[in-house]
Amino acid sequence: MDNRPSRHRLVRIPSSRCEPPSQRRLLIREIGGALVRIGLLTEGGYPYVSGDARLWCDRLVRGLEQHEFDIYALSRSEHQEDEGWVHLPPQVGRVITAPLWTAEDDGVVYGRRARRRFAEWYGALASALCEGAVGDASGESSAAEADRFASALYGLAELARDEGGLVGALRSETAVRALERACRAPGARQTARAARVPELLTVAGHLERALRPLSLDWYEDDGLGAVDLCHATSGGPAALPGLLAHHFCGVPLLVTEYGVRLRTHYLADTESPPAVRTLLTAFHGRLATETYRRAAVVTPGNTHARRWQERCGADREKLRTVYPGMDATRFTEVGESAECVDPDTLVWVGRVEPAKDLISLLHAFAEVRKEEPKTRLRIVGAPTGAEGAAYLGHCKALAAQLFPDEAEGLHAVGDNPVRFEEIGGPEVPTLADAYASGAVTVLSSVVEGFPITLVEAMFCGRATVSTDVGAVVEVIGGTGLVVPPRNPKALAEACVTLLRDPERRERLGAAARARALELFTVEQNITAFHGIYLEIVSHTPVRRVVLDGTGEPLPFAAPAEAHVPGRWTEHRTEHGTRLAARGGPGWAAGPPVSATPPFAAPEGATG
Amino acid sequence: MSEVGLDRPGTPGTPDAAEGSGAPEGGRGAEVFGDGSGKSSVSGEGCGDIEATGGSKATGGPEVPGASGASRDSEVSGEAAVSGGSDAPGGAEASGEPEVSGDSGVSGEPKTSGASEEPRAVEPDDVDPHTIDASEHADPYAPSAPTPRAPEISTGGKPTVPGPARRSAADPVKALMHRHRELCARAVDPLEIAAGLEAHGVTDRTAVRFRHRDVFSLAEEMYARVPRDGEAPPPPTTEQTSGARADWALLTLLPGALCVATVTGIRLTDGQSRLVAALVGFLAVSLAVRAALSRGPLGTSDRAPTTGTSTWTYWLLAYATLGDGLLAAAVTGGPDALPTGAADAAWPMTTAPLLALTLSCAPAAWSAHLFAARARRKLAVSRGLEDFAASVRPLLLGTFALYLCALTALSALSGAAVAEPAALPQVIALGALLFLARLLTVHGFTHAPGAVLTAAATAQATALAAVFASRLPGCGFLAAPVDALVDLWGASGIQTLSCGLGALALLIHGARKLTRASAHARAEDSC
Repeated sequence: MDNRPSRHRLVRIPSSRCEPPSQRRLLIREIGGALVRIGLLTEGGYPYVSGDARLWCDRLVRGLEQHEFDIYALSRSEHQEDEGWVHLPPQVGRVITAPLWTAEDDGVVYGRRARRRFAEWYGALASALCEGAVGDASGESSAAEADRFASALYGLAELARDEGGLVGALRSETAVRALERACRAPGARQTARAARVPELLTVAGHLERALRPLSLDWYEDDGLGAVDLCHATSGGPAALPGLLAHHFCGVPLLVTEYGVRLRTHYLADTESPPAVRTLLTAFHGRLATETYRRAAVVTPGNTHARRWQERCGADREKLRTVYPGMDATRFTEVGESAECVDPDTLVWVGRVEPAKDLISLLHAFAEVRKEEPKTRLRIVGAPTGAEGAAYLGHCKALAAQLFPDEAEGLHAVGDNPVRFEEIGGPEVPTLADAYASGAVTVLSSVVEGFPITLVEAMFCGRATVSTDVGAVVEVIGGTGLVVPPRNPKALAEACVTLLRDPERRERLGAAARARALELFTVEQNITAFHGIYLEIVSHTPVRRVVLDGTGEPLPFAAPAEAHVPGRWTEHRTEHGTRLAARGGPGWAAGPPVSATPPFAAPEGATG
Repeated sequence: MSEVGLDRPGTPGTPDAAEGSGAPEGGRGAEVFGDGSGKSSVSGEGCGDIEATGGSKATGGPEVPGASGASRDSEVSGEAAVSGGSDAPGGAEASGEPEVSGDSGVSGEPKTSGASEEPRAVEPDDVDPHTIDASEHADPYAPSAPTPRAPEISTGGKPTVPGPARRSAADPVKALMHRHRELCARAVDPLEIAAGLEAHGVTDRTAVRFRHRDVFSLAEEMYARVPRDGEAPPPPTTEQTSGARADWALLTLLPGALCVATVTGIRLTDGQSRLVAALVGFLAVSLAVRAALSRGPLGTSDRAPTTGTSTWTYWLLAYATLGDGLLAAAVTGGPDALPTGAADAAWPMTTAPLLALTLSCAPAAWSAHLFAARARRKLAVSRGLEDFAASVRPLLLGTFALYLCALTALSALSGAAVAEPAALPQVIALGALLFLARLLTVHGFTHAPGAVLTAAATAQATALAAVFASRLPGCGFLAAPVDALVDLWGASGIQTLSCGLGALALLIHGARKLTRASAHARAEDSC
């Protein structure tokens, strides 16, 4: 190593961003931080007041204020459009909406060549739907099928971009005829072969509806071509614009699915004739496969969604489970307080419906009472729908039958050991109070997706006993007891175990709270997405070649500074005032910091 | 064991994932075990697990939560096993214990000996009828809950388990298929069965009891085993909705009635009041026609741009009323006065065609309705597009002929009523043209009707203009073709020819377009 002083003259290079020395500060943010312009793709979702998952999107957009969001929203109904948008934060650059529930025929009538092009691509699409099943994920044949589907899809999209008039073409006889030919072709599946004319028409109508995003004018350089990455907030129709943006402009795609769209489709469409379902599920399956194939990163919300995505051909390397975040502050008080209101009370919280299997819970409670006669059970929740109300009545009758009212002495007024309450009542004004009122939280569902009530109980630091359904095991980890569903005896045994062992209860509760704070907070959700955004942008940057007037590529048209965080091109004065207001320069704004450091377990951890 | 695996589902960025070695495999812990050549390994794994975790519970369990990920894992398994096993020593509990700790077939050995589980094993008897789950989902997995049978089958040793449970145990998947037979019967691919099973609470851990690594492979087996005898279910009969029929049926009668009233008014009045009556009548009839065409089988669902069409329609009707008289007068050097509304004036006005056409709104609507309904029925039963086209073509011609018959009768009737010579050919040609144009418009083809109506009206206007232009000096040759036509067929020849040719063109066009299935799909959608 050469320690001699440098022979070069020290040259001071003036920074392009000279700030007064008082404002100059060290670069404290992590390396790789950048301003990312995100195209948020939603379908029947975020900016609309009645949208799905708008809470999550809202938190995401508000939590990542150092980035820029362009929202591209597909609306699901006229009613939804009429209801308006939620209030949008300033980091939302623009909102572009398009209806999925209606399509205007733009009146373009194809010429001979365009018609032939359309028939060719549509026929390829149809034959890709008619052959092979979605389920068998691996194998060259299915890969070839997927390729055919993809090329047909992009072919139609290019046709729509070049000529327009796709809506009319998709409704035309040409489409139906191509569909019929594909169904009758050798190699088509048995169920598809049986398609009759009305079924063909239904399928053609559905395809027209599903392919409406192809006709949008979003895929230009000033539309989705201008963003750094597309984030589709669900699979299916929302991801389709992302796919096309990837195809046309090379924009990387991130797909987040909290519920797998394909599975929803399977469960929703049970009435149509088999031929229709065959073709439509094939379409949705292939679309999902193509989405997962093209996406840079796919983020399932839980292992269950992850399994489905893997099944549909998602590469494991692309999958990152990002748990939905929940607001933990509501439960802080309950979670941090060590003392327990009533050591002999079991609590069940949730929406009352048959899938929650309260009957089993009541039977289990009867078993518990045999062992621990002082135990009480509180069922907190409101019924959903008429079915839920009927079920609640049934449960109440069963509770009255199983457990007679009891009093402390001969002269006291008795009451039932099982109490049915609702949030907001005098006993349980808030959700946190509901969890606080018991020593053990019980979950007795037979069917469950992502168990939100369980996470809430974990936030409250309660020991839990839950049935092994859905994502329960994944959520609870080792911080609670898990029993098989529909097994009241096992449920009762687990409850008794916990009731008799306050120390263990406390330990489990503390561990549960620590786990929930680590995995299921809003902050972890936002941090995860922040990291994924930066990762995608660094791994697959969009290379834009800007041409000047003569058609020559313009060097440095998209400078690296475009990604410098903070809006450096803005007016200095405005910038300065905003910086002052925020107490630091925009480019120094770090990623959101987790509210709780990992493994900062509460005092119960050592108990 | 499964808890260990699922504890860290590969969450990126969380310490768990960072430390958990072999991320993908770990996430699948349960399935890996399940795959491992049958139950013996599973139960061995399970027992080992229980033992080990019991130990870890005794030693490392309590201080876990604050520690690092590795010890968290041990806590995980510790708790999981302990959940049932804290009271483990008791013989009765022993049967409950393995179930608690993730019952993935682990329970095999203990349970066969567990006396407390025996009464449960009898349960399959009442589950056997499989009627239970139809009403509610209570306990549908009871037959598989006493899992010990599964391992026995794999080893071939049967006698360990008492009789009653045997039947359902022999083929647990068959029982499951019976329980979900509707799902299996309607499923078009294995994923649909998987989705349905999951909606009924079947998880991967349940699937392990059926000796499958996950729900997907279980669903695949079920899908493969569903008997498919290839018979297609009968197509659902589409019931006709006759709800809102009365309104359009009445509305289509309105133009005819108003036109009769107007003609009567014109006949009874004179001079100034006749003009007023004619204007009021014109307004009323045109509004009534508009109303009649706004709904029912002649109504277009979407607001298609038909302004051009309606303008030309008015021209055609006006020509039918006044045009022939004007042309006849023009050829002979007239007209010398404005029409007075009388049939015997110098510029005669013929009201019979208008009367017949407005009256024919009702048969037109019924014909269109007949066509649409029949076509929809044929749509439901035809197997291919060619079949459909072949069966709809005679239908189209039949309904068209039906309308023409009705129009002929009405035209003769109205001619007799107003005591005018029945101008049958013109009326029929014009009626055919308008009916076909409307039928095409209703089914979504607006381009051709507009073009043909425009052409017909232009032809008529050209004929009139040529006659008048020929009066200019040196332009006498312009009227020659018109004169020839008038000599040949009379003054009405122009109208008959223009409308007739137009109708023919539309009929040929309609025979191609209206026999397409896609033309009738939209009508179905709107219903």
